[in-house]
Amino acid sequence: MELNRRGFFKVMGATSALLSAGMGKARAAWVSKAPPDPYGCLVDLTRCVGCRKCEEACNDANSLPPPDIPFDDPVVFETDRRPDEKTYTIVNRHSSGKIDDRDKLVPVFTKVQCMHCQDPACVSACIAGALTKKENGTVHYDAGRCIGCRYCMVACPFEIPAYEYTNPITPKVQKCTFCFDRIIREGGKPACVAVCPVEAITFGKRNILLVLAKNKISDLPAKYIQHIYGEHEAGGTSWMYISDTPFEKLGFTKVIPEPIPRLSETVQHSLFSYLWSPALLYGLLGGIMWTTNKAKNKDKGGSDASS
Amino acid sequence: MHHHKPCPVNAKFWTPGVIVLSVLMGVAFITIAARFIGGLGYVTNLSTARPWGLWIGIDVGSGVALAAGGFTTAALAHILGRHYYEPVVRPAILTAALGYTFVVLGLIVDIGRSWAIWKPMFFWNTNSVLFEVAMCVMFYLTVLYIEFFPIVAERFKGNVNFKGFLSNFNGLIDRIITVIDKMLGKIMWVFIIAGVVLSCMHQSSLGSLMLIAPTKLHPLWYTPILPLLFLTSAIALGYPMVVFETTIATSSLKLDSEMEILTPLTKITIWLLGLYGALKLGDMFYRGTYVYLLDGTYQTNSFLAEVLLGVIIPWFILLSKKLRSSRKWLFAASTLIVGGVVLNRINVFIVGYQPPVSKTAYFPSIGEIAVTVGLISTLMFIYRLAVTWLPVLNVQVKEVSDEK
Amino acid sequence: MKNKNIKTILLVSFSFVLVLSITSATPQSAYGAKTPKADDVSDNWIAEDQAKASKRAAEVVPFVDKVVDECRLFRQQKLRKMKLSVNDIDNSYFLLDSPIINKEDDQYGPVRFMHSKHAASVGDCSACHHYRPADENALETTRCSACHQESFMSDHPERVGLKAAYHLQCMGCHQEMAEGPVDCIGCHVKKVPDHADFVKLGVNPGAIEVTKECLRCHANAGEDMLSSVHWLWEGPSPYTLCKEKKINHGKRSTAINNY
Repeated sequence: MELNRRGFFKVMGATSALLSAGMGKARAAWVSKAPPDPYGCLVDLTRCVGCRKCEEACNDANSLPPPDIPFDDPVVFETDRRPDEKTYTIVNRHSSGKIDDRDKLVPVFTKVQCMHCQDPACVSACIAGALTKKENGTVHYDAGRCIGCRYCMVACPFEIPAYEYTNPITPKVQKCTFCFDRIIREGGKPACVAVCPVEAITFGKRNILLVLAKNKISDLPAKYIQHIYGEHEAGGTSWMYISDTPFEKLGFTKVIPEPIPRLSETVQHSLFSYLWSPALLYGLLGGIMWTTNKAKNKDKGGSDASS
Repeated sequence: MHHHKPCPVNAKFWTPGVIVLSVLMGVAFITIAARFIGGLGYVTNLSTARPWGLWIGIDVGSGVALAAGGFTTAALAHILGRHYYEPVVRPAILTAALGYTFVVLGLIVDIGRSWAIWKPMFFWNTNSVLFEVAMCVMFYLTVLYIEFFPIVAERFKGNVNFKGFLSNFNGLIDRIITVIDKMLGKIMWVFIIAGVVLSCMHQSSLGSLMLIAPTKLHPLWYTPILPLLFLTSAIALGYPMVVFETTIATSSLKLDSEMEILTPLTKITIWLLGLYGALKLGDMFYRGTYVYLLDGTYQTNSFLAEVLLGVIIPWFILLSKKLRSSRKWLFAASTLIVGGVVLNRINVFIVGYQPPVSKTAYFPSIGEIAVTVGLISTLMFIYRLAVTWLPVLNVQVKEVSDEK
Repeated sequence: MKNKNIKTILLVSFSFVLVLSITSATPQSAYGAKTPKADDVSDNWIAEDQAKASKRAAEVVPFVDKVVDECRLFRQQKLRKMKLSVNDIDNSYFLLDSPIINKEDDQYGPVRFMHSKHAASVGDCSACHHYRPADENALETTRCSACHQESFMSDHPERVGLKAAYHLQCMGCHQEMAEGPVDCIGCHVKKVPDHADFVKLGVNPGAIEVTKECLRCHANAGEDMLSSVHWLWEGPSPYTLCKEKKINHGKRSTAINNY
């Protein structure tokens, strides 16, 4: 193998050009790619009555397979469920720990679905860009680009994306679609929101919902917990919750208050923007190789060293 | 004095070991067929909460790490010009080429839409660590095949001997091989440097993969320097892996043990492994995660095993010149280091991964184990096939050669 | 003794008539609702107050944008001082229905709401009429759908839509008072889809075929029935002919079929 002078300088020239371009970009701090004015949903857990109409409407709107247990059978509340590849949203029953006037435990119902993060980890993770964050807040899945690596599932802090493990050839990642096709229409609402009999879910612009949630909490400070779940979780999510029971008791996981992809994207871009570091390493190794080969050639009196 | 030169090993091929390998390959083949008929859920224990299992932890995570021998020896012998170590480069390149081929094969089995594996080449997501890993693995696999080509060319140059109808093309094929080999020889340095650069990129990025899961990966492993730890551990693993495979190959094929190369090689490892260990322990103390060390959980014990057995003990073994020169001790230390890095990859991808909401546990299914074992068997089988027919390993040659 | 036997026979025959009347009534009430026969005059007859309530429910009144912000207790006192009572009620019966509600989905029939009855038992008009329009010329008590119309109006994010207003008001109060239904079918009739599209039976099907066809979709209902008292009842039967001294006569043990 041979590294001649011309080749070496070519490499070094290219390296320095790339370096100057890359270093500048790399130093720039991480910037959120969150849409400025997305839609969102505010779930008031104190209102949910556990009728599971949202599950039924979701099933219908997304043409999902029929459930194992009918939607009007309260027996499902006996087990703690998670959304899966056949169910985009589920309602679980928890105990608030309180007892009402008639000595009955007061249940709290929680609706679980994709949170549609502002800076979604799944979107950052997806190898082929099958998952995207839309301007209207939706975290959208395009099966046409998916290769089925399931890195989105690894990344999601809420354990939401589910997978069609029994489909051998064309499995899809399944999760709440935010009824994308419905909400892009004027006045359209997600199916679960439209069906809710008590408006436990309020649909609107996220910024307005945040104000609404804060007003609700400050109007009834004794009723609500001073926490809007989803305001800061994972850097903010389109779906948000307010509750009269601490969220830890209701199966809500504690999530760091900063965008999940921040660290990995910062590391990734500061190392590989414009491929500056590989170029630098290439140049460096090229230089070492050239030097050692030159020294060796001198020893051998100019004869070439081939591998 | 006998001279050493890479030669085909003309040993008996169908030994009992090779037959066992074939059986394991058969079992894996049946399991893979079942996966493509019944879906991933049919043969694996994967779930919504545990989307990555044994196949990612071992076939991909550890597979890439174990192939680090390829770029570390190439860097040493060709870039740093330590031509003394040239004899271990060829088997290391072969292992790397095979290792990466099986990383890709393992991925094809693991990803749900295997037929769509080409899609990232056209649909880029430069924010995705996995995208970068995939691109690097693809390019590096190509580089490895190019680096391996001269070995094939050496075997067939002037020796293309097809029978029957194809014999008409013997001359043509011979000429093509010769021309390509000559051209490659001139520009091989491009690929050798590229191989090292690509390796550094994706060995580290393999660690960056889990940076996207701060709430899921156990704090003992989740650190911003995870990519650096992955890179340094891969580099530290390179030479012990060469020792490990060379010792197994030379003892099972009854060849010279090459201790005169392996012993000085592992002297470098003291520095490399020391660097990795220092970074790992330093990180642990800097972030204060040592508080977990004695909590007795499955995760913590696995971490202790990884650090004590995989880093500290072999480091002290290598430190002693006497033990380093003993074939048994050197093999033991190398095995511990290899095991330690494999355990580290398993810890990062499987053991330390705790889904915070559902807290689902995971243990690989028989099907997953069968495929992993089968793929490793196939790798060993092809390695055996390659060293039998191609000039990879150093064999004592009686005739006097003028090359050193 | 004989007297008792006659009683038993009467009971049996009565239940027969009952069963017959239910079965003959079923097709019209449940399945025939969507396709009334044109020639059947009795089907088209609607009670006068029902017709009035339907008409009222179909109206969409002008939206009240601003309301007077009054504290709940103050308003209660105010309405009491005005001496508002059941006697002031113009409409004692409502159908809680509106074109606003039925835009998205229509799984349930409208709730029939007894305005006067509720007013009499609650005795506090401000419980429902919790705000008044800011317009001084407006009535003190106005209908729900004047303020609560579409949900998620961007100008009034705090105001719930009509459907939620109904549900929150009714269920909230029922829960608080521990009186009145809080489940869906306590107030609503569930709109059963037209089974003519689902049922696939030949001409003149036998009883077993019909049962099988029902079970095809309602397998759970069938299984539930098998563990219910209708299938498992037994006990002493002093009034049953020839079984007077049995203590465990019943469908579970010795009885062959219904009576």
